[in-house]
Amino acid sequence: MDLAKTESLDLPQAEPAKGGSVGAPRLTWMERAIVPAGVFLLLIGLPWLHPGYRLLSLAVSTGVNTIALCGLAILFGQAGIMSVGHAALMGVGAYAGAILARDLDMSFWAALPCAALLAAAVAGLVGLPSLRVGGHHFVIITFALCGLFTIVLTNGGAFTGAATGLDIAPIGTVFGVNFSKLQNLYLLAAAFVLASIGLMRLVMTSSYGRTLRSIRENETLAAALGVNVGLHKIVAFMISGAFAGVAGLVQVYFLQHISPDLYGAFPSVYIALMVMLGGPRMLLGPLMGAFIVTFLPEVLNLDPIDARIAYGVGLILVILLLPGGVMAGLAHLYLSCRRCVVRS
Amino acid sequence: MIAAWKERAVLALALSALAGPAFAQSEGGVKIGVVAAQTGAFVSAGNTIGAGVSLAVKEINDGGGVKIDGKTFKLDLLNRDDRTDVNVAIAAGRELVNDDNINALYGTESHDFSVSMTKITGPAKVLQFTGNSSLGAILTEQSVAPGGPLHYTFQTEPPEFQRSGSTARGVLKLLGKEIGQPLKNAVVFVADDATGQYLSEHYVKALEANGQHVDLIKYPPSTTDFTPLLTRAKSLNPDTVHFWYNGDVTLIAFPQAVQLNVAKGYFLFGVDPGVWAERKLVSTAPVTLSCVPMCWGAPPSPEAKSYFDRYFAAGAVKGVQSSVSLLYYDYVHWYAKAMEEAGTTDPDKVVAQIEKMKYQGVVSKVPLYFDKRHRVTFATEVCLVKPGTSDKFECAVEEPPAEPPPGDNAG
Repeated sequence: MDLAKTESLDLPQAEPAKGGSVGAPRLTWMERAIVPAGVFLLLIGLPWLHPGYRLLSLAVSTGVNTIALCGLAILFGQAGIMSVGHAALMGVGAYAGAILARDLDMSFWAALPCAALLAAAVAGLVGLPSLRVGGHHFVIITFALCGLFTIVLTNGGAFTGAATGLDIAPIGTVFGVNFSKLQNLYLLAAAFVLASIGLMRLVMTSSYGRTLRSIRENETLAAALGVNVGLHKIVAFMISGAFAGVAGLVQVYFLQHISPDLYGAFPSVYIALMVMLGGPRMLLGPLMGAFIVTFLPEVLNLDPIDARIAYGVGLILVILLLPGGVMAGLAHLYLSCRRCVVRS
Repeated sequence: MIAAWKERAVLALALSALAGPAFAQSEGGVKIGVVAAQTGAFVSAGNTIGAGVSLAVKEINDGGGVKIDGKTFKLDLLNRDDRTDVNVAIAAGRELVNDDNINALYGTESHDFSVSMTKITGPAKVLQFTGNSSLGAILTEQSVAPGGPLHYTFQTEPPEFQRSGSTARGVLKLLGKEIGQPLKNAVVFVADDATGQYLSEHYVKALEANGQHVDLIKYPPSTTDFTPLLTRAKSLNPDTVHFWYNGDVTLIAFPQAVQLNVAKGYFLFGVDPGVWAERKLVSTAPVTLSCVPMCWGAPPSPEAKSYFDRYFAAGAVKGVQSSVSLLYYDYVHWYAKAMEEAGTTDPDKVVAQIEKMKYQGVVSKVPLYFDKRHRVTFATEVCLVKPGTSDKFECAVEEPPAEPPPGDNAG
């Protein structure tokens, strides 16, 4: 499981070169800490850089996607199971938040565990029959989940707001912090992003993470070693669903209006694309994937059609040249450069 | 050295004193924002918003600007592309409202985007003019009252029961005359999305109020093969088939319907006679077309013709939804006039002024006014294409009903 250990870091340990010789000494603690510290400071400090409301608003959208992607990275990156139904699970969290606020006057904070648990439960229900087949069948079933979910929402009458959707009031003031201000809402989203990355790391470095990776690498061998493959796959999907539920809840309080279109098959494919581009096995891969797809096209002023073509070409290039995603590519680039420096 | 600087400072002060009166003529600008799709899936509707508002702003500025309390203000237009993405639309809206401090916002082309946008414009007291008739579902007397969340939001399209009523009357009048026998059975095709659901519930009631038995068939928004649904429609033996609401999709479904000979006559919502003529389309069956709100291919008044001439001369694209620009053009002029009459740019006073004003625009023969739910009233133009021709039209502008038909919630 040494390989799995290196995958859990954004700056992997120097790997032994072919032939058994070590290419470079182990990474120092400063090298390991510099990227996470930089990301942490940038995430928390962004509002003080006065980026303007446009970029801050896009940063919140990026954050929402990152939360969901962290869950998908656990499922795909660790357990090796790809879902293209994550937008539907986000929708479960979003609609749970909006309906609980409307019918039970439940606050964001009270709805938080409900959204996570409900999305996890839906993931469990879908996973129970479908993960028995796994592979491509599971991908198709999760894709169908999105279609089914939007049909249910569109025809849900007053309960789901039908195709018109639902509205929700902003989070409001908690302990003197007014979350209807975009800066504060951004900081809340950033806190959720950091917590998601932290939880993702916890899973990746735990024995449970190693179990998932054993399933990913060789399901038959893992089962032969006594791993309850079916149970762990369902639990991984449920954990992933809980992340998506939280992302959906943050999203509904950000947009303050939701409709079925947000949670269909197309947004789900985009989420899958993001995790593959960013790097599903890297701690900061989800953040990078969300940044590339949500933030970058707007900053670069790319036409949406051009952007979609770029994503397609980019995905092919990533699969061919950077199978671990952009973050893994950057990490390996750093290690290669470092090795060259040490040798010289 | 210091003396030289002093001399320059005195000279600069003297020059600025001379220039003072001239600068006082123009006291900066009133900022107008537009958020609409200039790229992406909604571009055909979105680009008309920016084009209509741009033309109005240019005309006002060329005419000397807006005169408020003895001072002249130019309109500064800030145009933003929402890329048909709600996240980008919200980001653009926040930038315009919070960073650029706009006074009024025009757009967007989508119901969901517009509703999310009201959460930004409302608290900032920015006037929002949007053409989505589906906003009627949330515009109530309470929500648009002072202090209400939608006090600064105005729907620039009529209540749907009025637009549907006006359209149904025009369609049945023209098709009935052409077919030459009473029309009794109708099938309505509508996209099963937010706009489609909202529109169809009113249009079905409007047809029923005009003596029709109606069957409603909803199609998934991405449908391209309508054959199974049309076969089902044919089994209902309809006199007329009505396709709502996306003009581009309608033009895909209609030839399939004619091929299957589903009905005696057809109605295509949102297809301009201009598009029909430019594409040299021909139908063997009688077909009526309607525009939102009037047709650039067959303008019903000299004012409308003049508007569309200016609109296209300014470089706007001739498309299925070009006439949608009229849902925004008039309201820039109206907003400017309201500021002049209120003598201020203060949003509360301007809203109060708009609420009590009547404005004679291009879009209506009678002066426009906003009702107690911030919605306007005007008729919709419907045109019949003479069978076997691509450029011979007979048009009607039927007045909308004053009251909703039975069962309609007056949305």
